[in-house]
Amino acid sequence: MSAPERDHGTTAVGRPTLELRGVDKSFGAVQVLHDVHLTVYPGKVTALVGDNGAGKSTLIKGIAGIHPFDSGEVEFEGERVTLHSPRDAAKLGIEVVYQDLALADNLDVVQNMFLGRERKRGVLLDEQSMEVAARETLAKLSVRTLKSVRQLVSSLSGGQRQTVAIAKAVLWESKLVILDEPTAALGVAQTRQVLDLVRRLADAGHAVVFITHNMVDVFEVADRVAALYLGRVAADVPIDQVDRTQVIELITSGRSGDLGLSAEDLED
Amino acid sequence: MSETTTATPPAGSAAGASDGGGKGPGLLAGPLGRNLGLVVALLVLCVVGALTAPGRFVDVDNVLTILRLAAVIGVVSVGMTFVIIGGGIDLSVGALVALSSIWATTLATQAMAEDFHWIVMVATAILVGAGAGLVNGIVIAYGKLVAFIATLAMLAAARGLAEIIAQRRTQIVQDRGFIEFFAGDVLGIPTLVIIFALVAAAGWVLLNRTTFGRRTFAVGGNAEAARLAGIRVQRHTVWLYVLSGVCCGIAAVMLMARTTTGSSTHGTLYELDAIAAVVIGGTLLIGGRGTIVGTVLGVLIFTTLSNVFVLNNLSSSAQAVAKGVIIVIAVLLQQRLATGGVRPRKKARGGGAAAPGNPAGALPGGSATAGGPAGARPGDSGGRPPH
Repeated sequence: MSAPERDHGTTAVGRPTLELRGVDKSFGAVQVLHDVHLTVYPGKVTALVGDNGAGKSTLIKGIAGIHPFDSGEVEFEGERVTLHSPRDAAKLGIEVVYQDLALADNLDVVQNMFLGRERKRGVLLDEQSMEVAARETLAKLSVRTLKSVRQLVSSLSGGQRQTVAIAKAVLWESKLVILDEPTAALGVAQTRQVLDLVRRLADAGHAVVFITHNMVDVFEVADRVAALYLGRVAADVPIDQVDRTQVIELITSGRSGDLGLSAEDLED
Repeated sequence: MSETTTATPPAGSAAGASDGGGKGPGLLAGPLGRNLGLVVALLVLCVVGALTAPGRFVDVDNVLTILRLAAVIGVVSVGMTFVIIGGGIDLSVGALVALSSIWATTLATQAMAEDFHWIVMVATAILVGAGAGLVNGIVIAYGKLVAFIATLAMLAAARGLAEIIAQRRTQIVQDRGFIEFFAGDVLGIPTLVIIFALVAAAGWVLLNRTTFGRRTFAVGGNAEAARLAGIRVQRHTVWLYVLSGVCCGIAAVMLMARTTTGSSTHGTLYELDAIAAVVIGGTLLIGGRGTIVGTVLGVLIFTTLSNVFVLNNLSSSAQAVAKGVIIVIAVLLQQRLATGGVRPRKKARGGGAAAPGNPAGALPGGSATAGGPAGARPGDSGGRPPH
């Protein structure tokens, strides 16, 4: 059902960064993901929408290697891959910016950006080069809200923390950046900053998956929209083929006009 | 009368200096300010010592005695600092010192040492410490046992095992070379003090200049973030306890040299002394923050305090009281700095702030008062716009 829709995207931008085919995932007796197909392209923002419990978080945790998929195929830049741990994902260039912001409060901005992948000179840490690289990355993203890269993360605002988390993805030249509700807890001005940042991220060639509940955000930055309904992909289409009402219908009922899940899919 | 005069000045000055550090502009200034406070406290203690026991306190031999006493517990405290920064606690250090010292002085080990070299005894002590630390680490990281319980069990078991091996007898170190090397001195500085200095320096480099240290802070500060950043948190935790065990092994060697014996009563209550030194050194019991310099200063403060008390012919009971008071004051100050310097963030802080009371155990008063301000926080942060 999603195959013809995928073709629209393919003709537009060439080889996808990530392609999921027929992915399933269960937790015990509960099947959370059913036969999920999803395609993510470089330089494009894909908005992943769906109601609470639709499987968005499970899907990204699968991609991040935290809860590996049970079955189905995952292709990354045209190659079959397996994602069994966060390390696998990181090695491929998949970076996830989590909703609760996986930053260590007691470390500073540079230390957080390099956490787990510190630069070394011999056995010792190379603080100088890490600081320079962090500063350059933030400048590249036109981030001007941080006073110092040696500030502790605990002293940053929500928007600044998002910025640091996103900058970390850029620093590692991640090919695929997944943002889990990055604007959920932010004020108007901070949301604006983060959305701008997301756009710049895609313009710099990264493939971006952007999870959100906010339709305004979707139509503001997304190039494509993928709607999940009860663990199935109801639609995965370019943004200009849908309007806001259709997206909301896809989220709430899994169907909208000729888009969406077939009647038998909806039944079981 | 003189008890109060000796006990109060250091505490008062520590308060003043640490407050100054807390008011500093950035949080990075915090540790420096706190260490400065400790230096001032130590200096005040020295002045008190010099005034109350002139001639006896200010004496090269006396200073060397203080340093020699500080060396053994200091080495243990360096290991403890890593464990606590990494979010754990190691109550078994005293028992591990005893077990290492016994194992390294058994007839079999000493016979091997005689045939080969006394280095066999050193290696045995360190390996036994490391092995017991490994058990601690595996039980905690993979068995998911709370560190407090796991190391409490090791405390009981390791000392029991030491008693069994030694059959409750004190084992004499026979090797002359061993005693001469470790109990000797280099250019007037006792070897034990040099070992302490080397361990502290190595600990400082490891904590501040290597990925191991950086990851220790990350694991103690936010284990989930560390895991998502690709750090193998469980493996790292195991290494922290192994490190603590190795420090216990080194301390056992030092103690064997100082007392020329291995004994199952060695290192009794070292866990409390080490935790106290680490805590007044500014390391947070909830993990994620701490310094080696602070720990070294903490050890020196406690050892100097004991020395001043002894020189003034005060009972060890009075010492214990003074120690308790200092620990509570230091922890109270630390809580102020921790909650005052950092904005309250979600419930994690409230939950965490209550935790240090548990491992400390000895300080119910301190943890209760700490719970007060932490509990009040949601109220006053409610006034601010949520972030």
